[in-house]
Amino acid sequence: MKCRSALILCIYVALLLLSGNIVAGNTEDKTPDYLSARWNPLHFKPAIDYALDAQCLGCHQEVLQRKPLSQSPAGIKSSESLAWYQKDETYQGEQETFHRRHMVTSTAKRLMKFKCNTCHQGHDPKDEASGTTDTTQKDLVLRKAVNPDICLMCHGKFDYKVMAGLTGDWPEVADTFNGDCVTCHKEFRTKRHKLNFLNEQEIEKAGEKDSNTCYGCHGGRAWYAIAYPYVRRPWLKRMPGALPEWAKDRPTEYTKRFTK
Amino acid sequence: MSKEIDKAKIKAAVKRRKRETYKPVVPATQLGFIHHNVDCIGCRACEIACKDKNGLAPGPRFRRVSYIEGGVYPDVYAYKVNMSCNHCAQPACLPTCPTGAIFKRASDGIVDIDSTLCIGCRRCEAACPYGAPQFDPGDNLIKKCNMCVDEIDAGRKPYCVMACMMRVLDIGPIDEISDGSFQTTAIGPGDMPVKQVKNMADPELTKPSIRFIAHSKGGVQSKQ
Repeated sequence: MKCRSALILCIYVALLLLSGNIVAGNTEDKTPDYLSARWNPLHFKPAIDYALDAQCLGCHQEVLQRKPLSQSPAGIKSSESLAWYQKDETYQGEQETFHRRHMVTSTAKRLMKFKCNTCHQGHDPKDEASGTTDTTQKDLVLRKAVNPDICLMCHGKFDYKVMAGLTGDWPEVADTFNGDCVTCHKEFRTKRHKLNFLNEQEIEKAGEKDSNTCYGCHGGRAWYAIAYPYVRRPWLKRMPGALPEWAKDRPTEYTKRFTK
Repeated sequence: MSKEIDKAKIKAAVKRRKRETYKPVVPATQLGFIHHNVDCIGCRACEIACKDKNGLAPGPRFRRVSYIEGGVYPDVYAYKVNMSCNHCAQPACLPTCPTGAIFKRASDGIVDIDSTLCIGCRRCEAACPYGAPQFDPGDNLIKKCNMCVDEIDAGRKPYCVMACMMRVLDIGPIDEISDGSFQTTAIGPGDMPVKQVKNMADPELTKPSIRFIAHSKGGVQSKQ
């Protein structure tokens, strides 16, 4: 009899706790506030790796909604002002923010498959540096929400020095190859763009049509002074024993985060 | 000289022109910052002086002192990393700007922004590896540290440097700071300025004009 009473009591307490949690959860969901939202597990590993864009955009929707001003305070019209890289054929449409350029514009939708967590790997309200007492978050970069090494994959210099046969940057040598990247790349580094944030087939199609599209990412928007060290590929099998100095320290596989 | 218009040649020339890329400015002298990570007490007087000078509301912070604290007792450590705009030799913000609002001075390498030309697209903010360009939600514009360029032109030092009570933050020609020939209280006897500290983005990305006196637990071996 005592056992049965204890069991009933246990079940009652468990139900009470469960209902309390549900109520607390509901309350939290209905009235999210900034401070508690910062501690949402979605901002931390491992939850952030499985976060859906819809979950991120539930709070951060403004990143895809906000557009640049139609004109600057001094009267410079957005529609009439283009940067050097925006005069290329690969640039289309009106001025947009970088988030929209990577996720929702027509070119972005055609060539890319970026998700929020492709770039954003979480933060920690307690600390902005990894390896300290207050955080277990890894790869935090001071003052940044994203590790710039990810940006470097498409915004690095055109690495002509490691490409046999090229004597200068692409704009200088393009005419020698009739402006066609595929002249060499039907032989070299044929396994490419197999990353989960790129639309491989569409990129290949765009590249075949016009090499300026290739240059659009591979040098044509080089914000950084260095090139991204792309992984070594099995082309070395075609040239047994050939391992150039520049390739010695390079990995042979991309991090799983970009391939799975 | 032929008077015939060679359409193919013109077409090729137009295509070539379109492939033109941005050429970085090479200044006569490059000014840069030096910060002593260990002797900095983290009082944030530099941050406040900066906000005061630039009339910034809560939110945008041109300069930020990061507190790095860690270790396990008794082997614990604490130091500060203090950064604003690093006035990079090859700034990533500059080429992204569609209106030419960001520019680099040829005389001293200061990277400045004319916010009246800014359309608030925030590309520079994303491209900078050190979080220098700051978005002001008050007017939807990007603003950033310009090393108090008016003070520099008047022969003085920026507000952050003048506010530093420990004298651990200073500016000077970055080459002289690097080779130790620059006379400053921010570099102590035997201190060796380094380009990068732990948790900071790779300086090779943009070649930032800043050097640190790193803490023994805050150095990055390969970049020193």
